[in-house]
This record gives sequence, C-alpha cells and structure tokens, in this order.
Amino acid sequence: MNVPSEHLLILAAILFAIGLGGFLLRRNVIVVLMSIELMLNAANLVFLAGARQHASESGHWLPDGPVMVTFVIAVAAVEAAVGLALVIALFRRKQTVSLDQLSPTSD
Amino acid sequence: MVDLLFYVAAALCVLCALGVVVSANPVQSVLMLLGSFVGISLIYLLAGFQFLAAIQILVYGGAIMVLFLFVVMLLNQGDPAVLASEQGLLSKAQLAGGLAVAGSALALLLAAVVRTEIPRPIFGYLWPEGGLDPLVGMAQAMFGPYVLAFEGASVLLLTTAVGVMTLAKRQRSKPSVKAAPLSSTTEGSP
Repeated sequence: MNVPSEHLLILAAILFAIGLGGFLLRRNVIVVLMSIELMLNAANLVFLAGARQHASESGHWLPDGPVMVTFVIAVAAVEAAVGLALVIALFRRKQTVSLDQLSPTSD
Repeated sequence: MVDLLFYVAAALCVLCALGVVVSANPVQSVLMLLGSFVGISLIYLLAGFQFLAAIQILVYGGAIMVLFLFVVMLLNQGDPAVLASEQGLLSKAQLAGGLAVAGSALALLLAAVVRTEIPRPIFGYLWPEGGLDPLVGMAQAMFGPYVLAFEGASVLLLTTAVGVMTLAKRQRSKPSVKAAPLSSTTEGSP
C-alpha cells in the first residue's frame, strides 16, 4: 500500500469527527458507547500511520505503534464491558436508556 | 490496485460510521459498526499489520460487537415502541450545536493534517525483505520496554471482570434485618 500518510490521517479525522458527532447528538446510551468505539478506532489509525511513516523515513520499523494499538484495543474492550454493565444497571433502575430521561436535571 | 482497495475500505469505514450515527435502530447501528471495523481491519491488512487486522476482527468484530448486540437485545432496543420514544427528542439548537462542535473538530484535524508536510512513504510494506518479522518485534517490545503496561493491562482486565460482575449483578433483596424497614418506608413514600 503506497497511500500517502495524509490520507490515513484524513480518514482518521473523519472517523473521529463522526464519532464525536454521534457522541454529542445521539440520545441512546448504547449508540453513544458505539461512537466512543469509533473515536478509539480513529486513534488507532493515527498510531498505524505514525508507525508506517517512521518506518519509511528511517528505514527500520519500530513496533511501538502496533503495541499501542493493542493496548488501545484492550482498553476499548474494558470500556465497552464497563459501559454496558452500567447501562444494564441503569436500565434496571430507570427502565430507559435515553440520556434525556436519565439526566438528573430533567424530570 | 492495492491503493484502490485502501480507498474502498476507507469509503466503507466512513459510510458505515455515518450509518452508526444516523440510523434510528440500535441493531442497525451495531451492524454498521461491524462493517466499519471490518473496513479498518482491511486497512491494517493492507498496511502490513496482519496481527492487528486479526485482533481487530477477533476482539472488536467478535467480542465487543457481540456484547453490544447482546445488550441491545437484552434491553429490547429494537422494539418499535422504544424506537418511537427516542424520535424528535433533539431540538434544532441541539442538532446545530452538536454538528458545529463535530464539524469544527473535523476542520481543526484536517487543517492540522493538511498544513503539516509529511513525506510520502518510500515503500508500501513496513518491513523490508528478510527483515524483522512484525509479530516478533511486537512481542519483544511488549515483553521488553512495555512489560509494565502489559501487566497493567492484565490487572485492568481482571479488575474489569470483577467490577462488571458486581455492577451487572441483579440486586437481591437484602437479607439483613436493618435494610428491611428502610426499604418499606421508601416504598411507602410516593
């Protein structure tokens, strides 16, 4: 793949912006968590682009980028598990997953 | 040809990500997110990170997506009555504000990318012929300089497993005598 790194970074920026938009605009907590996953994936793409760029400039590659991606994936899995457990606990109490109805300031 | 495949995967990612945010049905959102993850995995594969492509599919596509799908089904989110209750909750001002924040973040990131001069990669794949195997290098890094972070991740996962079990456990009626009159008074009050 000889794609310039800018295109990878632009793709990551677009994905991050879509995730941010979903995080701010959606009312369903589950979809908000999915938007966070999208943003984490955009960060992973930036790590990938950095590793690729460093390898092509210096001639030898460093494994730090891919290692960081694996850590981000582990943290994303943890975040999804804890977030969904919280959603289930909230649903038990309030019978809804809509953020408008869960907000303590709205009633 | 391989470059063209990258743009196909990128388009798949962006379209599916838009589908996640736009679609009203959470089940559709989960499936769209799966498509986005497959596209990102394809990009990893094209860039030469086969291991990352594999764990992207296994962890994201396999584990996390199934978890999301289970919760969506468990909480009955595909139900038409539930879907209708979420419609029309966003006012015009909320929509404009959210789009403005997301759009300005996009503009900021794109400006940062475009204004930075990044030399074009010389070779497509990361490792030269007969060079370091990426997986060996990753393993050496993970158990070398990153071993503390690796152990931290394992502690994090263990803590999460215990914490999630505590959080998601159904709250049983407390057997202790102290809790019984307290709950009866809270139930009696409106």
